[in-house]
Amino acid sequence: MMRRLPSKAMRPIRAMAATMSIAIGLPVHAATVTVSVGTASGGLGQAIIYAIPTGGTAPRQAPRAAIVDQINKEFVPFVVPVQTGASVTFPNRDNIRHHVYSFSPAKVFDLKLYSGVAAKPVIFDKPGPVALGCNIHDWMVGYVYVVDTPWFAKTDQAGAATLELPGGEYEFWAWHPWQNAETAPQRVRIDAAGGSKVAFRVDITTPKQPRAPQ
Amino acid sequence: MPRFRSLRARITFFFVILLITLQGVLMVLVTASGERIAKNRVADELLVGERIFHRLLDQGTRQLSDAARLLASDFGFRTAIATRDFDTIVSVLGNHGARIDASVVMLSDLDGKLLADTLHAKRHNTPFPFPALVDAARRDGKAAAIVLIDGMPYQIVVVPVLAPVPIAWVAMGFVMDDRVALDLQAVGKLHVSFMSIGADGKWAMHASTLPPASRASMIAHPPAGLANDRLFAVDLGGDSLQTLAPVIGASAEGKVVAVLQRSLREGMEPFDRLRTILLALALASVVLSVVGSVLVARQVTRPVKRLADVASRIRDGNYGSRAEVGQQDEIGELAASFNHMLDAISERESQILRLAYEDTLTGLPNRAMFQDRVRQALLTARRAAGPATVMLLDVDRFKLINEGLGHAAGDLVLREIGARLRGLLRESDTVARLGNDEFAILLPTGSTERADRVARRVLTVLEAPVMVDGQPVDVSVGIGIACYTAHDDDGDALLRHADVALYAAKRHNAGYVVYNPAYEQGRQTHLSLLGELRRAVEGNELSIHYQPKVDLQTGECAKAEALVRWIHPERGFIPPIDFIPFAEQTGYIKQVTRWVIEHTFHQVGQWHRDGLDVMVSVNISTRDLVGADLPELVAKQLAVNDLPPALICLEITESGVMDDPARALETLERLHALGLQLSVDDFGTGYSSLAYLKKLPVQEIKIDRSFVKDMVTNADDAVIVRSTIELGHNMGLKVVAEGVEDAAGLTLLRELGCDMVQGYVFSKPLPLPQFVKWLDDHNRRLVLRPDEAAVPA
Repeated sequence: MMRRLPSKAMRPIRAMAATMSIAIGLPVHAATVTVSVGTASGGLGQAIIYAIPTGGTAPRQAPRAAIVDQINKEFVPFVVPVQTGASVTFPNRDNIRHHVYSFSPAKVFDLKLYSGVAAKPVIFDKPGPVALGCNIHDWMVGYVYVVDTPWFAKTDQAGAATLELPGGEYEFWAWHPWQNAETAPQRVRIDAAGGSKVAFRVDITTPKQPRAPQ
Repeated sequence: MPRFRSLRARITFFFVILLITLQGVLMVLVTASGERIAKNRVADELLVGERIFHRLLDQGTRQLSDAARLLASDFGFRTAIATRDFDTIVSVLGNHGARIDASVVMLSDLDGKLLADTLHAKRHNTPFPFPALVDAARRDGKAAAIVLIDGMPYQIVVVPVLAPVPIAWVAMGFVMDDRVALDLQAVGKLHVSFMSIGADGKWAMHASTLPPASRASMIAHPPAGLANDRLFAVDLGGDSLQTLAPVIGASAEGKVVAVLQRSLREGMEPFDRLRTILLALALASVVLSVVGSVLVARQVTRPVKRLADVASRIRDGNYGSRAEVGQQDEIGELAASFNHMLDAISERESQILRLAYEDTLTGLPNRAMFQDRVRQALLTARRAAGPATVMLLDVDRFKLINEGLGHAAGDLVLREIGARLRGLLRESDTVARLGNDEFAILLPTGSTERADRVARRVLTVLEAPVMVDGQPVDVSVGIGIACYTAHDDDGDALLRHADVALYAAKRHNAGYVVYNPAYEQGRQTHLSLLGELRRAVEGNELSIHYQPKVDLQTGECAKAEALVRWIHPERGFIPPIDFIPFAEQTGYIKQVTRWVIEHTFHQVGQWHRDGLDVMVSVNISTRDLVGADLPELVAKQLAVNDLPPALICLEITESGVMDDPARALETLERLHALGLQLSVDDFGTGYSSLAYLKKLPVQEIKIDRSFVKDMVTNADDAVIVRSTIELGHNMGLKVVAEGVEDAAGLTLLRELGCDMVQGYVFSKPLPLPQFVKWLDDHNRRLVLRPDEAAVPA
């Protein structure tokens, strides 16, 4: 899941160029695109979907900050999509210590966190998945997925998500932390009038991660 | 079973065989059940050992996975992996491996490439050799297996390195070498070997607790049961190893097999020890039982042997030795009984000896002992050239005492005589009772003179009557004396000489007679007479003379007595007194009687046919009377001669009848039944009772000549004759007087009423022609002068 293919290594650069172009001509009309992600047995929540305009880069805009809490010895939320350069804070809501770390290529960091002590935000400046762990609690797993586009969303429990996009042609991507393989992107022309739909099929394997002791 | 002569050997043999058999059965049972138990136990131990082995493997797996997880969760390690800090990675691997003494630690990236390998530093970036384990670990969180690395089996565990999702795979393992095998052996008490079979089917042995030779054998000849989950036996180094060889690791390259083995011999060891102890016990008990039964048997057989020795001494006539009564048991009882038997035997033997050599009536030595003493005395006399004398005594008329007064009286008389004889002799002399009324005296050193003196004293001492029931009984003896001379070679000769002398003394009524060789001749005459008498009977040397019996009433002579006469061809006339008693003694009288009967009957028959009826009397001896064939002979001769029985009279003597009255009476009855006349001869000389005489079927009695001879001059005899005649008449019998020699007697007899007379007054016994002539003359004279009929010419 942390495989880094050579082709994929190029992707942040291209994505960055696209963002730049969109940012220049900010669309007046945005269309709502409904994206659904499912497995063979139904809708898949916690999946990250994002769209990259095929014609250029996505418009650059200030990335929104995100928060990943540690509540009851879990990362909440489980998966957080952020735009490249976004800062993420990891507030410790428990009354115990946590040691949040990541050895993912997209961002390697570790934070020794004490309950109630404000932590420095972490800037995620490279696109790609970042697996979060706690060095004290092995079962604590969380993900920050860094994308090089402002158009991204996370599916709900039913596997649905919506994106507000200006009309044009986009490459749609889907990612899930438990996916068996990288999902192929879909090129879709988005009509400004809206009503476009994109559907992904993602096969997952629920990992045998350590669980919290009962 | 072999034959043992001695009781001791048999007892010992029996007990030893019994014991050996029991011990043998015990040994067999112990061995058989021992082997079975040992096999079962070994099998159980193997199964337990296998469980322990798997438990230990599991323990190893746990230890490895714990260590690997600890390693995988090390933050620094994960940092090193994330930063691809290989030097750090290798050092951490080594560090953690060393903590649990792991033999190998490997690290694989997610793409299946080795990041580090503590065994092989240079294999960086080569494929991880156990991708299947990674797959299993991905699936199950961890994986464990026995694998081959560089030809050695390793227990390997693979776990992911989580950060918190897997970022690498750690493999950690223990090599399964001899040390491990030895540890397992220490726990499970089994032989443990690790073997593998490659894809090519070749077996290899990696580690083992077996000795080198057994290992080599296992590789050279891998048992068929390997890699099979079943128990089997392998013969190694002279031992049978129960074996269980489960597969503990399998891959495409081959299988790893744990060979667990338990020695049957070791399993048998407790039983072998037991058997050794039992064997020792068996040997000890056999030895003890041999010794014990020998001792016990000796206790039995020794006294028995001693008894046997005593018995054999008794057999040799030694009654002095006695059985030793040492024990209070059965043997002791036996010995005591033995002694009682010994006493009884010795007492009985002395009694038998006494009986054999003593006369029970008088208490004097008997004939056997007397002969023995005579022999002894003669030996002494011969050596000393001294004299020795034997005297034989015979009681006169003892038979009369016995018959007249009874046997008790006879015995009393004999005892009295014995006592008197004993009383007048020296201690060194021997008085013996030889038989019925015969006594003997041995004077071992007695000369003829002394014998003479002794004989006279014997006669004197016996002059006093013996008192029987207050009645005096006169006894007298005849004595024959024989003195030892150089001519007598033995005692028998001496006794015979004494016998001859005794015979002479009796014959001459001479009191005592000393032996004179001249007496022998007469005696030998007797002996030769027997042969000659036989010849005389067969060769007609005998003839019959007839003596007339005259009727005193009529003077007629119609009867005669037949008397046998012997004219010896050389010696001439031999008087009947010289051969008749002798013939009676030897039994030859029967032949004489037969001869007389045959010839007399023939003659009487002849006369009868010629018209002359003479009734002839024939004398019958005692022996004839008790014999059974006389009536038959008489009947046959009557028939042959066609003779009326009334012409024959048989004369029997009174004493002849009394010898065996029952037999005699029977014979007489049969003769009487034939119709013959029967007459009692010599009447008055015997002791027959009148009551008995009455029973006899006789018609006539003849008064003995000894009474008739002197009756004219002796009043006593005359009384006897008269009484006898009256008695005869009263009993209805005819009375005949014998031995009438003169006219005076004839007259007296006629007065007394005697019926018939026989004697020289009429005629002596005459040969046949003269008798016929006498008869003719007498009867003619009687016809001519009937008044003189009864008076002889």
